[in-house]
Amino acid sequence: MKLISIKLFNFRCFYQQTPEIMLARSEDRNITILHGNNGTGKTSLLNAFTWVLYDKFTAAFADPEQLVNRQAIAEAQPKQSTDCWAEVLFEHDGKRYRVRRQCQAHKIENKGERSIEYSKRELFLQVAGDDGRWAIHNQMPDVIINGILPKSLHQYFFFDGERIEQIVRSDNRNEIAEATKKLLGVQVLDNAIKHLKEARKSLEEELKSVGDAQTKTLISQKQKVENDIVECETRIQEIEQEVEAQSQLRVSCNQRLSELGGIEEIQKRREALEAQERENRDNLRRTKNELKQAISTQGYSVFLPQAIADFRELVGGLHERGELPADIKQTFVLDLLERRKCICGAALHDGSPNYEEVKSWLEKAGLADVETATLKLEGFVDEVEKQATDFWQGIDTKQVSISHLKNSISRLELELEDIREQLRKSPIEDIRQMQTRLDEIDLKVEDLNLEKGRKLQKCTDYQQQVENLQKQIKSSKQNEGKQKLAQKRIDAAQQAIDLLIEFKTNRNEQFRKQLETRIDEIFSQISFKAQTPRLSEKYELSLVETIAGQEVPSGASTGENQILSLSFIGSVIDSVRKWSKSGLLMGPDSSTFPIVMDSPFGSLDEIYRRQVARLIPQLANQLVVMVSKTQWRMEVAEEMTPRIGKEYVFVFNSNKPDTQTDDIFLYGNSYPLVRQSAYDYEYTEVMEVNRDSTT
Amino acid sequence: MDDPIEQASSEVKKIIKRVLDVEKSRLDKNEQGRINEDILKIVKEEVQ
Repeated sequence: MKLISIKLFNFRCFYQQTPEIMLARSEDRNITILHGNNGTGKTSLLNAFTWVLYDKFTAAFADPEQLVNRQAIAEAQPKQSTDCWAEVLFEHDGKRYRVRRQCQAHKIENKGERSIEYSKRELFLQVAGDDGRWAIHNQMPDVIINGILPKSLHQYFFFDGERIEQIVRSDNRNEIAEATKKLLGVQVLDNAIKHLKEARKSLEEELKSVGDAQTKTLISQKQKVENDIVECETRIQEIEQEVEAQSQLRVSCNQRLSELGGIEEIQKRREALEAQERENRDNLRRTKNELKQAISTQGYSVFLPQAIADFRELVGGLHERGELPADIKQTFVLDLLERRKCICGAALHDGSPNYEEVKSWLEKAGLADVETATLKLEGFVDEVEKQATDFWQGIDTKQVSISHLKNSISRLELELEDIREQLRKSPIEDIRQMQTRLDEIDLKVEDLNLEKGRKLQKCTDYQQQVENLQKQIKSSKQNEGKQKLAQKRIDAAQQAIDLLIEFKTNRNEQFRKQLETRIDEIFSQISFKAQTPRLSEKYELSLVETIAGQEVPSGASTGENQILSLSFIGSVIDSVRKWSKSGLLMGPDSSTFPIVMDSPFGSLDEIYRRQVARLIPQLANQLVVMVSKTQWRMEVAEEMTPRIGKEYVFVFNSNKPDTQTDDIFLYGNSYPLVRQSAYDYEYTEVMEVNRDSTT
Repeated sequence: MDDPIEQASSEVKKIIKRVLDVEKSRLDKNEQGRINEDILKIVKEEVQ
């Protein structure tokens, strides 16, 4: 999606129709800057984009139900409607789209009392044909927009920079994972797997109808077990959702507990301990997996010492007896016997003593091959011996880590239990109640996790049963041609399903790893600290640092979390774009992305502001940035100015008497940011900056 | 990329390719409804 322009009509502080705000979209000049003071329409413009495209608003957007400009409503007669709309023009995949969302405010007068009612919001979309004429599309507008840039992803492309650190919050991780998978087109693979499974079931029905009695019975049994698997998987999904809901509840209970007076310090301590416990558990899980991996790939080396010792003893014996090194080659002896003549000139007739004498050399000569093999094996044996030593060292290190982590977790659990006990005995009832609630949640989550474990085990058993039944069905007598063909088709469908599942798993993991590498690259370009971002399998974003060879979690400030979030967004855009260009994506074309940011540099220090300002325009194809005068500082302006294609000022016309005016100097010209309104109402005007004066 | 699909037999490869094409086009057009018949037809056509 490439944004072309936006136009507003009676939208919030924008009275009547604004000029069409054209957005920069060339490759080398892809930035549009909109300058404005606080409360003069920057956040409204960001929300105009999200409203038109997704009917959504950002958290900082106050009173989203009151979109219609107040002056326009005031001017309307009773019973008269006032229109409000925003219109966005964009292009995607060679097509141009015009989207408008609109609503009306109705002035109601009832028994002398006046009130305002707002109408339902309507969305219109037109697409330009090859002849340039606009036409209504035959699909629903929101379906088209969702296909281009899904609604679930909009907050990564249209965002409030001051709140962007929320992306790294743990309660958003599922959303992040799902949204990212959507971009990869995993839905296509999911649908293909689902529908192939349905097709396989239909084929099994066909086999059942043409099959013999035994086949019919086996298929029925298999279908029953498969239904059990579906039930089991459904319950696992429900459990996961319930655990997630309980976790959210836990967060809000903790927040409420923190708000209660007198236990701020305890709560802070608890949060810190819980964070450490989570991190330790993650590390424990990772180290255990590494241990398993090491055992499965290098574990064989520990069973070889006896074989190595036997080999060395055997070779040593051969050397001692003088059989090695061998001084005669078998081919040489065979050659003499074939020619019936020894090198001394004696004839070698079959059965003669001379013949038998030379023939006896064959036994000794055979050792020349042993010698060649021994030389090869000795090098290999040395290597295997070294591997065994390395393997044990690695295992020892991991076991020490596991032991440390377990001890650390036990210690943390004890400390946390102490805190819980303190709160349970608190003299304040609200605190006691809240702690009881937290205890209930923990108990519930534990029960759910246990149930999940049981269900997972059941699922594995059922899968095994299905495999066995499948083997039996295949090996049952299939004389009929129809029966054989149906079975062949079932096998092909099943193979396709298995391969697609493997392909999907590989692709997800490959993308996650690439994403993590890219996040690290971007983050390290911006941050001056030796922290490394980590993206877990569940798409949890965190920062770690290495202390004495061990990775430990690194506490991140709001600014660092903002950089981490920006690195994540930049990485998603960059990686998806690369995959799209290489034809690796299964979903809709996703090679062009805009970023629209309000106040992107709010909490960042100078050094970070400069790096972010330098980097972000390179990552997104198009950047629209709303800034206040204080945010548009020297380093930001220096980095961004060479890439600006369009620039505007929001001029706020204040109706307050003796308004304190404000201006901004751009390219040698002064532009008003706040000025006295010529009317008795306030409104914001959009003024384009003349950049030609210096460029 | 280590693509497991490349290891498949030619008829399974053809099934996968055709099924993915159908699914992608349906997603692009946001078509709803069952497509079991389409997929079943693909499997039957490719495995004779």
